[in-house]
Amino acid sequence: MKPQVAFFDFTSCEGCQLNKLNLENDLLDILKHVDIVEFREAMDDKADHYDIAFIEGSISSPSCVERIHDIRRRSDILVALGSCAVNGGINAMKNLHPIDEVRETVYGKDKYLFATLPAMAVSSVVKVDYEVRGCPMNQQDFLKLLIALVLGKQAPKYNSPVCVECKLKENECLYNRGMVCLGPVTRGGCDALCPSFGQFCTGCRGILSNPNLDGMLEIMTNHGISLDEAKKRMLLFNSNEVQL
Amino acid sequence: MECYSLLRADVPALIDHLGKFGEVVAPHRKGDVSYSFESVLDSSQVVLDYNRTLLPLKKLFLPPVEKLMDFSLKNMSFDPVELTTQPRVFFGVHSYEMQSILRLDHSMLSGNAESNYFKRRKNSRFVGISFEPDDFHFSESVGIAIEEMEGFDLFLNEIDDDFQLYVLSDNGRSLIQGFKQIRTVEAELSGKREFKKKIRYHYNRLPRIFQYAYKSKVWADVAEKCVGCGACTLTCPTCFCFDVTDEVSVTAEDGLRQRTWDSCMLSTFAEVAGGENFREKTINRTRHRLYRKFKYITDEEGLPWCVGCGRCTAFCPAGISLPDIVNELIQEDEKAQYHHTVRV
Repeated sequence: MKPQVAFFDFTSCEGCQLNKLNLENDLLDILKHVDIVEFREAMDDKADHYDIAFIEGSISSPSCVERIHDIRRRSDILVALGSCAVNGGINAMKNLHPIDEVRETVYGKDKYLFATLPAMAVSSVVKVDYEVRGCPMNQQDFLKLLIALVLGKQAPKYNSPVCVECKLKENECLYNRGMVCLGPVTRGGCDALCPSFGQFCTGCRGILSNPNLDGMLEIMTNHGISLDEAKKRMLLFNSNEVQL
Repeated sequence: MECYSLLRADVPALIDHLGKFGEVVAPHRKGDVSYSFESVLDSSQVVLDYNRTLLPLKKLFLPPVEKLMDFSLKNMSFDPVELTTQPRVFFGVHSYEMQSILRLDHSMLSGNAESNYFKRRKNSRFVGISFEPDDFHFSESVGIAIEEMEGFDLFLNEIDDDFQLYVLSDNGRSLIQGFKQIRTVEAELSGKREFKKKIRYHYNRLPRIFQYAYKSKVWADVAEKCVGCGACTLTCPTCFCFDVTDEVSVTAEDGLRQRTWDSCMLSTFAEVAGGENFREKTINRTRHRLYRKFKYITDEEGLPWCVGCGRCTAFCPAGISLPDIVNELIQEDEKAQYHHTVRV
């Protein structure tokens, strides 16, 4: 029997799920390997057990916590898809402010009707077996992981900076073009997509393990932005990963 | 020495003439302020005055990403890529770049020769060009003059805005056979160009410096600034490390094996099974990089494995300078020597 696969969304823009539906050339091949049993954005069916559950979005309310525990209990393998699920992503910027202030800004006087938690990575709540990074998640990464899981192989990991792929493609460094780029400390694997098209890296795939953040802040301030601005840029996708 | 004069305006004609031998590769503009070696489609687009290309000439002998074989999981079979190569002329190559190819030859061809490198390397011709050193070039300090002609078939030396063309090999002679826009002159090697960046000691004293520099404080200072992006090693013309990976296609029936440049400055480089990492800290990696250039291979071959192109320094986002590190090590060594002398 083919592996039973399901997709779930939590606090997110659902862009990662759309990104899967955009894999039009490969969707039929994917369906040769797996049965999709639950996918709110594409179908109505529900199932009791999942061989692989793909989770999109961060965990940011008590009901999220309940739901993710329930899914984890019924899944053999659980995969975090995209920035929000992997490390809280952009949502986690909320954690930089007092939670009461955040609730008041969003809900005004009705704030007590909406329970909220700091935006957390899925792995902060339940065990996550694999992750696909990026905002939105990288399609090729997703396919590679899926094929690896189907074949029972070790899933590919990428822990080298974006700079590596820029150099392999012989891109002109954006620092030489007067931009301030997070490429040196950001996890690559995206084929340096943004820098290749002249957009500096904003760090959507998360910070490398074991980074030199002080060194990175120094690079950024040496290239003409204030320390405050440099920290903000670094926190954009990585509020949960970085202590500044 | 066989020497001709060549007007700057006639250089595109020379490039077109070289095209009779095979594909011509030469420096072109890239992006806002950079250069890169590309195939010549229009000889008027070739840049004669450039500081350095983003990637070294190495990329055309040992490509950044190279497919090694196709395989089929369905039939349990594989099909290695049989490389066929055409004659190529590399035009407008600086002396340090040529020296880096000679060093790569040693790395890739001694012992078990790397067959793809060998196939790309044979049938190659090199036409050198002189250059004006910028703030980062320091090749003189590692024993490579601007007019160093070893390895070249032809060399263009700029004199008063025009060129002298030196013929350095039989291959070079046949390259310019039939090219009319040159006339014989007396060779004059100009020595006016000055390097701004220098290593303070002659390069043959560096192995001794490195012999005692392993526990130097300098490495920690460098590691404080280094973010480990790998730019220095990936743009280095003598680095040759690569990683081999298998990519299975989405049908899960076939795939390909490829090799990709790797870098010892990346934290994953020395990671081994079980998650151990024997160069986990930046301080270990940055030291290793310099020891690979000035100690480990140098001890065996008697030559520094750095050619002074300045790429690692020019392309480092943190502004870490390799010659400055070496100079600091020298200074530290001098201090240690001095104290030692006083005690005795």
